[in-house]
Amino acid sequence: MSKGATSRAAVFAELHRSGCFVMPNAWDVGSARMFARLGAPAVATTSAGFAFSKGNRDWVGVTGRKAALDHAREMVEAVACPVSADLEDGFGPTPEDVAETVRGAIAAGLAGCTIEDTTGDPDAPIHDFGLAVERVSAAVETARTAPGPFMLTARSENFLHGRPDFDDTLRRLQAFEAEGADVLYAPGLPDMAAIRTLCAEVSRPVNVVIGIRSAGYTVAALAEAGVHRISLGSALARLAYGAAIKAMRAAMSTGDFAPTEPALSFAEIEDLIKAGTP
Amino acid sequence: MSLRDIADRADDFRRLHETGCFVMPNCWDVGSAMMLAGLGAKAIATASAGLAATHGLPDGGVGRDLALAHARAVVAAVDIPVSADLENCYADAPDGVAETVRLAAETGLAGCSVEDKRHGTAEFYDAAHAAERVAAALEAAASVGRPFTITARADGYLGGGYDLDEAVRRAMAFAALGAPCIFVPGIPEGDALRDLCADAGTAVSHLTGIDKRGASVEDLAALGVRRISTGPMLHRVAMGAAALAAEALLDDGATSALVEKPGWGAASAAMKPG
Repeated sequence: MSKGATSRAAVFAELHRSGCFVMPNAWDVGSARMFARLGAPAVATTSAGFAFSKGNRDWVGVTGRKAALDHAREMVEAVACPVSADLEDGFGPTPEDVAETVRGAIAAGLAGCTIEDTTGDPDAPIHDFGLAVERVSAAVETARTAPGPFMLTARSENFLHGRPDFDDTLRRLQAFEAEGADVLYAPGLPDMAAIRTLCAEVSRPVNVVIGIRSAGYTVAALAEAGVHRISLGSALARLAYGAAIKAMRAAMSTGDFAPTEPALSFAEIEDLIKAGTP
Repeated sequence: MSLRDIADRADDFRRLHETGCFVMPNCWDVGSAMMLAGLGAKAIATASAGLAATHGLPDGGVGRDLALAHARAVVAAVDIPVSADLENCYADAPDGVAETVRLAAETGLAGCSVEDKRHGTAEFYDAAHAAERVAAALEAAASVGRPFTITARADGYLGGGYDLDEAVRRAMAFAALGAPCIFVPGIPEGDALRDLCADAGTAVSHLTGIDKRGASVEDLAALGVRRISTGPMLHRVAMGAAALAAEALLDDGATSALVEKPGWGAASAAMKPG
């Protein structure tokens, strides 16, 4: 267990008690330190952003439990603020698989993690309701064995997998809440009305991701709708790689090295990383 | 899909230095290497500063093991020649430089660079010692059994260790030893660069985009430059975009930077399978 893990977890739990906070998702140690320096109260990992950095073309399900937890541990050691990890489906279908992943997350010094109700099977992408609830139950039970608070975020992924069924999504999140999930999250909700309804229909904090459909909603508007936590998914990673790729593509087609995107100076990158180092 | 033979890639890389002018972008991780290869780069380089930054280390904070492990991962991920930025080859003595070159060749790299700056410092070797180090690198490269393209760098002009005349003298000395590529980072993009290209008798690499918009590919080719390196520019652009968006979000709650974003599909398409 990393030093200060319990106190960081307490800070993380406290962040969810009132108001609304932004939790940027970092894809490597350098980006984590940069976001910490820019004032992020907590940072999260992103399985897709991490896959980009490693050159994995299948964003989902290629990382595996060990690699995800090794990456999480590296991020916990990189910054002084709380870290929550994107642990996909918990790396296995059974409640025991999920429990093992959450045990590893606690040991890595994480302040929390997310567990999805996805299967990894394109033909049947979402676990049946009953199993999905049992998986969250196992995750919560394991989270309660942590020496301090451990914020378990339970995700319902219908809207990202061609099942835009708000009622089923809400029913799942309410069931996850009943099992004791600390934070509820349904990425890809269609609009602010859906976000507002979800926040009204559950009593635990709701996480909303920016960069999937909801790009453009301000933090103030999401807070007013009742959202407690805003994460970025892979949006910042896509923005970063996208800016570099666009600059290179322009240079290759015009022969001109005049990046239209704003570059940080060497010194700025180094200062941000240094200042974000615990 | 199997990757092209290391020796074929090494041959291609050497040939790229014989005629024309090519752009060799610098990656900072495996994913960026694949995306740049996917854009059609003919060769790719690692960047010590970018690699360091991804690990949260200052420039000069990467050691030999990490640099070579990274090089091996990039070589395994792309189909094009890869040249590694190996700083001072992580050794002061010529035999240490030779050892690093041998290990670099084992990773499948098509080449690597050798700086005349002591690792992690702003100190420069004296000219004679710098030349001995390049000679040792070239000798080690000659026994690899395939082309292994050494880029001999005179870094003191950019790094404040000596003046431009000294940098050119050093680069010319490296060329005279047989270096297949010489590199004076920061050299002004005018007569000095033109003269170096004309006099060197070997390929000249040039660093673009250090702190402002520089000459175009066409301009640099006309000056005689064979190879254009982007150095840390692309990583700086990436981090700059993320920092600005995160700052706007954290300070003002603004999300507009995240509205226009490269599509998931575009990122996927740019990444070549490895």
